[in-house]
Amino acid sequence: MHHRLLRLHTLVFTGRGLWTEELIALLLVVLVFVSPTSAVIRFANRSLLMTSTVPSATTSYTISFQYTSPVAVGSVDLLFCEDPIPYLPCVPPPGLSVLNATLGTQTGETGFAIDPATHTSNHMTLTRTSATVPITSSMSSYRFDGVVNPADPTKAFAIRMRSHESLDASGPQIDVGSVRGQVTNSIYLETQVPPMLIFCLAQQVEENCTGTDDTYFKDMGELNSTSTVTAQSQMAVGTNASAGFVITANGDPPSAGTTTIDGMTTPTASRPGTNQFGINLVANTSPAIGENPQGPFTNAVPSAGYGVADQYKYVSGDTVAYSPNVSLMRKFTVSYVLNASPSLKPGVYSTTITFVASGRF
Amino acid sequence: MVALAFVVAAAYAVPPAQVSAQSSSALSIAPKKNYVIEPGKSVEDKLVIRNADSNKQLDLTLRVVDFTYTDNGGTPKLFFDPDAPQTTWSLKPFMTIPETVTIPAGGTKSLDMKVTIPKGHGAGSYYSAIVYSSGGGSGNAGGDRSGSVGLSASGVTLVFTQIPGKVSENLTLKKFGAYQNNQNDGAESGYMNFTMKEPFNMAYTLKNNGNVTEAPVGNITLKSMFGQEYTINDVNPTGSLALIGQTRTYTTCIKLKEQDEGTRSSSNSTKTCVSPGLWPGLYTAKLDLFYGQNGNTTQELQGSTWFWYLPWWFILLVVVVLALIAFGIWRITNKVKTARGRRVRLNKSGRK
Repeated sequence: MHHRLLRLHTLVFTGRGLWTEELIALLLVVLVFVSPTSAVIRFANRSLLMTSTVPSATTSYTISFQYTSPVAVGSVDLLFCEDPIPYLPCVPPPGLSVLNATLGTQTGETGFAIDPATHTSNHMTLTRTSATVPITSSMSSYRFDGVVNPADPTKAFAIRMRSHESLDASGPQIDVGSVRGQVTNSIYLETQVPPMLIFCLAQQVEENCTGTDDTYFKDMGELNSTSTVTAQSQMAVGTNASAGFVITANGDPPSAGTTTIDGMTTPTASRPGTNQFGINLVANTSPAIGENPQGPFTNAVPSAGYGVADQYKYVSGDTVAYSPNVSLMRKFTVSYVLNASPSLKPGVYSTTITFVASGRF
Repeated sequence: MVALAFVVAAAYAVPPAQVSAQSSSALSIAPKKNYVIEPGKSVEDKLVIRNADSNKQLDLTLRVVDFTYTDNGGTPKLFFDPDAPQTTWSLKPFMTIPETVTIPAGGTKSLDMKVTIPKGHGAGSYYSAIVYSSGGGSGNAGGDRSGSVGLSASGVTLVFTQIPGKVSENLTLKKFGAYQNNQNDGAESGYMNFTMKEPFNMAYTLKNNGNVTEAPVGNITLKSMFGQEYTINDVNPTGSLALIGQTRTYTTCIKLKEQDEGTRSSSNSTKTCVSPGLWPGLYTAKLDLFYGQNGNTTQELQGSTWFWYLPWWFILLVVVVLALIAFGIWRITNKVKTARGRRVRLNKSGRK
């Protein structure tokens, strides 16, 4: 036993030069700086109840949460920002004000008052006379009256919360967390342009929809097995809605009695002599028909399957054009191709295609 | 009699292919309506419809249909079939709208609409759509083996209503990562971990298992292996919704170019993704999402991911550098071997 200890002693002291105090200190520093990311404890079951969600209304907010750390709490910091993430800079939600807010009912962990020293239009600190350990199993809620709602219904906002052992929200934080809120309103202020969707359709249309040729029917001509019969229509669309628009094509493919010329379910070239019906929204050379979309808003585009030259497709209900965001006006030319096999039954093969323009959600 | 004969002759002289509908097909409507209505209360609103055509009146028929999602985007799938079963989130029974309207050329009309939620109705999200249909074109095609196409235009207003109260909210994060958005090129879009093309987008896919629509908010932080950091502050700038049951993919630009369209609404701007100027290398990303209805628990979702951005010129550069290093090592090794061989030979000859 003695000789084993002696061997260990010799081994440690042989490498003595490597085990410097500086190296040990460095390891400790690394451990201290690495560990805090996993040490953050969050308030549980956080929620915000806004009595009124009307923009700019003066109302009451009830903030509820559960303290999770069994550590004495002396203050709770509440910061109102557009963003919920605590380490990002706080941008106050436009229009929101808690400057005249008063603390009403409190339940669970009580005894708090608003600290006037830190009270601003987007910041409040709840403080109490002494720090006590919260009853961690119960919910706590705090009702604030006289809060002015944010003005912008298109943006959510957050309340960043932190608890501290100190009475003035200084020093190390104990629990953290954010709650989310949003004002909602269907009535738009007259100073703003309300979202709208403009859509027109005919054989020929103006790009801004102020005029069309009022033609909504096209005789494509005699079907034969050696050539393709074609038609063309136009539609213009625009929206100032931030989510954009979508146009779908709806309706059965051309039919005569019980015989139908099926639509091409995948983008396919036009082949005379086979039964085919399809459309696309770009300029083609085979056959020479159609035009590329016109207008400056290039974010409005034909959908996949309807945007490749000389490739045609038709599936009822498919999206044929869309814009992912604002696109004021764009004109699309729809090309129709119809082919017939030699064995196709005689008849007038007709269809009505309904183009439906809607906003996106 | 002569006049009648002239009218009949003129009617026959008109080619059958050019049949015009009596109504214009140019309309301007609200694309979306949002309401928050407590049980037992109602909201009265106006549907403002404008006839964009300055020459012809617009005749519209209005009806309410249900809708759901089409895919993982924001395209509504409308149930036009009058016999389609009512969805569990249908707003149809609670909505009142006029059935028809005629708007003079270039004119505007405001129609009354009302949404009434019965007393005791459960909390949640309810939605349906108002479809405005103009008359379709029809006519007679000539020939006994011919084809014809008639056209019809419809516009849609999506109507969403939140009934406040305790709701079931459950979003799960399915995917998160760098995203190649090829929709404008007609190609497939998708997530990627290795790319030679600089990624412009980050995306996340959420599944909504709750009974309310959700519009999450939050941030993405992107870090490169060289310490560059990019923060995407608003990962859902348009307030896009994940409908009930939908798996929705949200894409966001790493760097955004916003172009104001000159309207006075704060949200009226075209947003396009531009090159964020990423350096080649390994990137890690962190997603922090928040969601929760008014009065309900605010919930958090977190995700992390990584991707390699290795453009062709960088790969070429690495290959060239490695080749040069290998060549250098080979040269040095050769020199050492030659020198050692010479020394050995000299030693041998010296001994002799």
